[in-house]
Amino acid sequence: MLSYIVRRLLLLIPVFFTVSIIIFGIIHLVPGDPVDNLLRIGSTPEQKAIITARYGLDKPLVEQYLLWLGNMAQGDLGDAIVMRRPVSALLAQNIPFSLRLGAAALLFSTLLGIAAGTLAAIYKDSRIDQSIMAGILLGSTLPSFWLGLLLILLFSVQLGWLPVSGARSWQAIILPVLTIGLGGTALVARVTRIAMLETMQKDFVLLLHAKGLPARRIQLRHVLRHALMPVVTILGLRIGWILGGAVTVEFVFARPGLGTLLIKALNQHDYPVMQGCLLMLAIAVMLGTLIGDLVQAAMDPRVRQAMT
Amino acid sequence: MKQHLRKAFLIGGTALMTLAGSASMAWSQEATFVMSTNEVGAPTYNPIKGAMLNIATSMLYDRLVVQDADQSYHPHLAESWEEAPDGMLWTFHLRQGVKFHNDEPFNAATIAAWIPMFTGTDNEYLVGAIDKVEVVDDYTVKFVMKHPEPNLLYNLSSVFMGIPAPKAYQELGDNFGVTAAIGTGPYKLETFAIGQETVLVRNEDYKWGASLSENKGPAKIEKLTFREIPEESTAFLELKTGGVDMLLAVPTDFIGELKKEANVEVLTLPGLDVAYMPINVTQAPFDDIKVREATAFAINQKEILASIYGGVGSEAHNFLISALPESKVDPKFDISYDPARSAKVFDEAGWKLGDDGIRVKDGKPLNVKLWTQSDTEFKRLTEAVQAQLKAVGMNAEITVYDSSAIKDQYKKNEHQLAVRSYNWNNADILDWFFSGERLGYPNISMWNDPKSEELDKKALTESKTVNERIANFKTYHEYLLSQFVFAPIYQPVQNIGYNKERLKLPAAIHSIQIDAISIMDMEVAE
Repeated sequence: MLSYIVRRLLLLIPVFFTVSIIIFGIIHLVPGDPVDNLLRIGSTPEQKAIITARYGLDKPLVEQYLLWLGNMAQGDLGDAIVMRRPVSALLAQNIPFSLRLGAAALLFSTLLGIAAGTLAAIYKDSRIDQSIMAGILLGSTLPSFWLGLLLILLFSVQLGWLPVSGARSWQAIILPVLTIGLGGTALVARVTRIAMLETMQKDFVLLLHAKGLPARRIQLRHVLRHALMPVVTILGLRIGWILGGAVTVEFVFARPGLGTLLIKALNQHDYPVMQGCLLMLAIAVMLGTLIGDLVQAAMDPRVRQAMT
Repeated sequence: MKQHLRKAFLIGGTALMTLAGSASMAWSQEATFVMSTNEVGAPTYNPIKGAMLNIATSMLYDRLVVQDADQSYHPHLAESWEEAPDGMLWTFHLRQGVKFHNDEPFNAATIAAWIPMFTGTDNEYLVGAIDKVEVVDDYTVKFVMKHPEPNLLYNLSSVFMGIPAPKAYQELGDNFGVTAAIGTGPYKLETFAIGQETVLVRNEDYKWGASLSENKGPAKIEKLTFREIPEESTAFLELKTGGVDMLLAVPTDFIGELKKEANVEVLTLPGLDVAYMPINVTQAPFDDIKVREATAFAINQKEILASIYGGVGSEAHNFLISALPESKVDPKFDISYDPARSAKVFDEAGWKLGDDGIRVKDGKPLNVKLWTQSDTEFKRLTEAVQAQLKAVGMNAEITVYDSSAIKDQYKKNEHQLAVRSYNWNNADILDWFFSGERLGYPNISMWNDPKSEELDKKALTESKTVNERIANFKTYHEYLLSQFVFAPIYQPVQNIGYNKERLKLPAAIHSIQIDAISIMDMEVAE
C-alpha cells in the first residue's frame, strides 16, 4: 500500500506542472489588461508603462511563468495587481468560507443521495423510484445560478425564513448548501441505487433471507453497507467538483470565498489572483482524486496490484 | 419566600425588558447600505495609494473642499481659500478644533505632511502641480504651484484626497487603510473584509460637518454597514426583504419592480454617465467626415430615452454631463436627431439609397461593424442604435464582447462603431477619450488631429484660471463635435433605492452621489 501511495504522489508532480502551464496559458490568452483597471482618468501613457513594468507584465510570457513558478516554490504566490494584497493573504481569507460551504454541501448531498438511492432501490420500478430519480435528474440539470435565485425567492422572499445573502449568520449557509447539494445529489443517488440493486443479487443476501431476517433489516444493515463502497470512492472525486460548483453559488449569494474572489479577479484581469484561485481549485481536484484512489485501493486489492 | 421569588422574577424581567428595549433602540440606529457593483472589491481605505476606493472612504476621511450636486465647490476642512490671479499661489484657511480618530490634531502641519505623501504613488498627478506647501500659521497654508492648476479644487474634492492622520499613516505603513484607517471623518472603521463588508461606527467627537450638510455632527446613524453584493438581483431581493436599507446604485431594469414595493422609495440624483457611440475615424467609410456626420445625425436620442429608459434620464447632445459648464457649447455644435440632414449628407458623400433600403457606393453596400459589451443594458441600447442606423440605410452588424475584454479588443483597431458609456464629472474626460496619445483605448475613435491636440493641450495644461479652463475646454469640445468623432446618445440618472420605513432622507441631497455629506443628514426612523 505504501508503494502505491508513493507512486500516486509522484504522479502528481507532472500533473501539477501541466496544470500550472494550462492555468498560466489560459489566463494570459484571455484578452484584457489588468493595468487598464489601475489607470484613472488623467493617467498618462508613461504611468501605464511604469505600472506595467512594476508587475513584470512587460516581460516575455515564458519568463513571467518561470518567475511565478520560482516564487511559488518559495511559497510566494505574488501580489494582487488590482487588489494590491499578497495573493496568499487573499486566499487565506477566502478559502475557509469555501471549505465550510463545500464540506456542508458534500455532507448534505451525500446523505440525501444515499437516502434517495436506497429508497429508489428498495422500491425499484415503482412510482417512488421513478419520482425520486426524476426529481434528482431535475435538481442536477437546473443551473445553480437559477436554482439559487429560485430558493431565495421561496425561502427568503416568500417565507422569510432565511437571509437572502451574506455570511453573517449560520442560517446564511443553508440556501447555498441546498443549491450546490441538490445539484450533487444525483450522482450519489444513482451510484447508491445501482450498487444496492447489484448487492441485492448477491448470494449472501439470499442466505440472509433464507435465515429469516426481516427484509428491511437486510436492506438497511447488510445491503446498504456493501453498497456504500463505490459511494465512498466517488466522494473524493467530488471534492473538486463541489468547490468548482461553489464559484457561481458564492457569487449569487454574495458569500466570501474562492469563487467570489475568482470572479472578482476575472473581471479585473488580476492575473496573480486568478492564477492563485485556479491553482487552489486544481489542487483540490488533484487531492480529491488522490483520496478517492487511495480509498479505492485500500478497499480493493486488485487496484493496488494493477498499479504495482 | 414566594414573594421574594416573585419580586426577583419581576426585577429580572424588567431588567431583561429594559435590555431588550435598549438593544432594539441600538439596532434602530444601525443601517445597512449596498455599494454600487463597480465599487465591489475595493482593496483598501488608503486614499493616498488606492487605485480604487469605495463610498465608505468618504465617511472615514474629510476633504478640504466638497462638491455639491450642481458641481459647485464648498468649504469643509478648508473654511475658505484664495487663488492668486496668475494661478501660481493658493491660500487655504483651515477649520479649527478638528482632530483625527486617534486624537492627532488637524492643522497646517497636517497639510504640509500630507501633500508630499503622494510622491511616487499612482495618485501623484492629483498634486502634481503643487511645488511646495508653506505653513503660514497653525491654520493657514499656501500651495506654491509649479504651474497654474485651475482643476485644483476638483482634485481636492476627490475621495482620493481625503486626509489621513500623518502619524498613523507613517506608523502603519502598508497596513494603513487595511487594518486601520484613521481620518477626521464622521465614522471610524470597525471592521473591513475586502469584497464582503465594511462596518463603521459613529465618531462621537465629530462636530465639523461640511458646509453642505445640515447636521454638523455627530452623525445621526450610530453604525453603518456597507455590504458588497456583486449580483444585482441578490441586492434587489435584499432590499425587498428588508435585509438592507439602501442600494446605492439600482440598474434601470429594476426600477419598475422596486416601485411596486410599498416600503421602497427610489431616489433620483443627477447622473455622471454619458452613453455615446464612438466613430472610428481611421476605418472606411468613417474616414470621410460626411459619413460620420450623417451617422451622428441618425441617432434618435428622444426615441431611445423613451423606449429603452422609459423617459428616465435625459437626452445627450454632446459629450459632457449637462451639469458641467463646458457642456454649454454653442447650440449649433450640439448633435440632435435629424434624419433629413443625415440622408442629405449621405447622398453628398456618394452613398445612395439602394432598393433594399441599404445605401450603396461604388457597388458596395453600407455594411459596418458595431461593437458593444455583454451587459444587458448595453445590448438593448445597441440594438436600438442598430435599428436607427438601418432606418437611414446603414447595415450595422453587432458584435458583443465581454465587458472585461472589450478594452483590449479596441486596441486592435478592428471596430468601426461602438456603443459605450463613461462615468466622470470633469471636462478633462475629453482629453482621456480623444487625445492622440491614447489611440485604441481609451481613444476608441482613433482620433489624432493636430488642431485637436493643440486645443486639448491648451485646455488641459495652459489654462491659468477656472474660467479660462472652462472657455478652453468649451472650444476643444466644440471642435470635437464639429468633427463628428462620436454620436451622443443618453445621460442616465443615478437611481438609489431605499427602505422608506427605515430611513429618513434629507429633503435635498447636496452631494454628487450619496456619501458622507448626505449620510450625515440621514437618520433611521424610530
